Amino acid sequence: MSNFELALWSFPVLLILIFLRFPIAAAMLAVGFGGAYMVTGSPNMMLAQLKTLSYGTFSNYSFSIIPLFLLMGQFATLSGMSASLFKAAEAFLGHRKGGVAMSAIGACAGFGAICGSSLATAATMGQVALPELRRYGYPGSLATGALAAGGTLGILIPPSVILVIYAILTEQNIAKLFVAAMIPGILAALGYMLAIAIWVRIAPNTAMVRKRVPWAERMVVLSTVWPVLVIFILVVGGIYFGWFTPTEAAAVGCAGTGIAALATGQMSWDKLFRSILSAGKSTAMIFLIILGAGLYNSFLALTQLPQTGAAWVAMQDYSPWIILTAVLVMYLAFGCIMDSLSMVLLTVPIIYPIMLVLDFGMTPDDFGLWFGIIVLIVVEVGLITPPVGMNLFIINYMAKDTPIKETFKGAFPFVVTDIVRVIILTAFPSITLWLVWAIY
Amino acid sequence: MAKCLAHLYSDILSNGELMFQRLYRIADFIAKSMAYFGGFVLIAVIIMTCISIIGRGLVPIGLGPIQGDFEWVEFGVGLAIFAFLPLCHLEKSHAVVDLFEAAYPPLMNQILAALSDLLMLIISIIIAWRLWLGMLDMKSYGETTFILQYQVWPFYAACFIGSLTFVLIAIFCMYRSIREFFIISNNNDKSGETAQENN
Repeated sequence: MSNFELALWSFPVLLILIFLRFPIAAAMLAVGFGGAYMVTGSPNMMLAQLKTLSYGTFSNYSFSIIPLFLLMGQFATLSGMSASLFKAAEAFLGHRKGGVAMSAIGACAGFGAICGSSLATAATMGQVALPELRRYGYPGSLATGALAAGGTLGILIPPSVILVIYAILTEQNIAKLFVAAMIPGILAALGYMLAIAIWVRIAPNTAMVRKRVPWAERMVVLSTVWPVLVIFILVVGGIYFGWFTPTEAAAVGCAGTGIAALATGQMSWDKLFRSILSAGKSTAMIFLIILGAGLYNSFLALTQLPQTGAAWVAMQDYSPWIILTAVLVMYLAFGCIMDSLSMVLLTVPIIYPIMLVLDFGMTPDDFGLWFGIIVLIVVEVGLITPPVGMNLFIINYMAKDTPIKETFKGAFPFVVTDIVRVIILTAFPSITLWLVWAIY
Repeated sequence: MAKCLAHLYSDILSNGELMFQRLYRIADFIAKSMAYFGGFVLIAVIIMTCISIIGRGLVPIGLGPIQGDFEWVEFGVGLAIFAFLPLCHLEKSHAVVDLFEAAYPPLMNQILAALSDLLMLIISIIIAWRLWLGMLDMKSYGETTFILQYQVWPFYAACFIGSLTFVLIAIFCMYRSIREFFIISNNNDKSGETAQENN
């Protein structure tokens, strides 16, 4: 078997191991190690690499942003900012049809600006908004579907853990990627609100509305969300203006959310300990996957699969847009069954060099930003689609009286807006890139 | 023969319940202590980074950033991650694809869980073993960090403690899943027997 065939065979083997419920990280480590053994005929190369690979990966300065963002997300959930964001959004949107659900989306978007994780955003906003939605008579399907969809804004609106990993893998500028995610993130929030507006009109009497809040009061409520704004500007602005490195910005954001949690009296030793355990477990999970992906990709590099694949694709006469569509559909399909982070770590090192040789009529830098944002959106759709959409399960777990089927149904309109948004952003790259061009 | 073995194991299990609970408490205590330690290292890294940034901002009045701050970040985060690994494994927080869990029979799920734990045990041992050799290499080369000019090997040694704990917890998890496997296969046997008796 040639090395190239070996590399191709490693994909099905890896997938079988993953479907047999082996931890994704363990499967990648095993296949990478075994593959390299078959290529070089001895385990020595991988064993030699492993002497420094684990310490080198875990103490990599670029990657050190990940545990900091995860801890920041944990502190943000304690800070009580989710409640003030929701109240502020309600003051502005609550009197509209479907306004309370729209407020939940708006608050999710705001919370996404200080939290880089979808699950944490969904869980935190669920706690705040779910009782309120039920009180205003929203059906369980709409309430849980909207919150699950809103949770995905956590990762789309910067800071975002997956964007950081994409930036490291493809050597993109993190600040530019964060800027590029802004408009698609806002479009996502608007799209979800539109879906709610259509829903409550098709199925009238599904929900009550709140009284209109006078402007003076709106301003008072809005002023309570200033910590969110300060932290967002410090973190994203700090990276953009070059005040800090991204890792330093994450540390500052962590300190900021930690202080906010202390200031509201929400931080106790018990909660601090729980935040540490929770952030620690996610950190270890992610870094084991990074280690596995590193080993697996160094096996693939040994077989020269990325180069051969890129050369092969370049020789074909397919339109780049068809290949891009095929790649996105693949991501969409796999996103429904696989965790988005592992998917990005596993596929981007292979797919990205291949995509880079295709001509989309833009510079490699612009392409890297645009492709990253689209991939991010597509893999995040998996969070709100059955059978393994984590956001759906988290919100459904909180809404004890809503059957999971209702939640699946409720998420459907939001998935549709996601897909429409992907099509629009793919067809018009300038929507994503416009803000980057304007600022840089 | 198989039935005989199963009976033997059910005996061991009923006596082993107490031992399992005890071992579990010890493993839980070790893993959580390591994770808390990692968390406080992370918080120390955050505080140090903030102080360093303030110092850098106040250069005009004679202050300055902490020397080699980013090397401390690298080391601190690395140490924290090694310390988080045991808890992640003990509490089964790895990313897995659960799609087919319901479709597989319980015994198969348990066999797969045991095999996963075995694979993780092997991985944890390889990581610890190679980290140890890496440390010896660093020591013999006298490798130093770029800015602080500190020897690198003590950093490796500190992380080795987390790595070794990972191995210990992986051994415990292996024991736990083998134990669960025998409990399930025992129950299967029993239900099979009652089905036969009913016939």
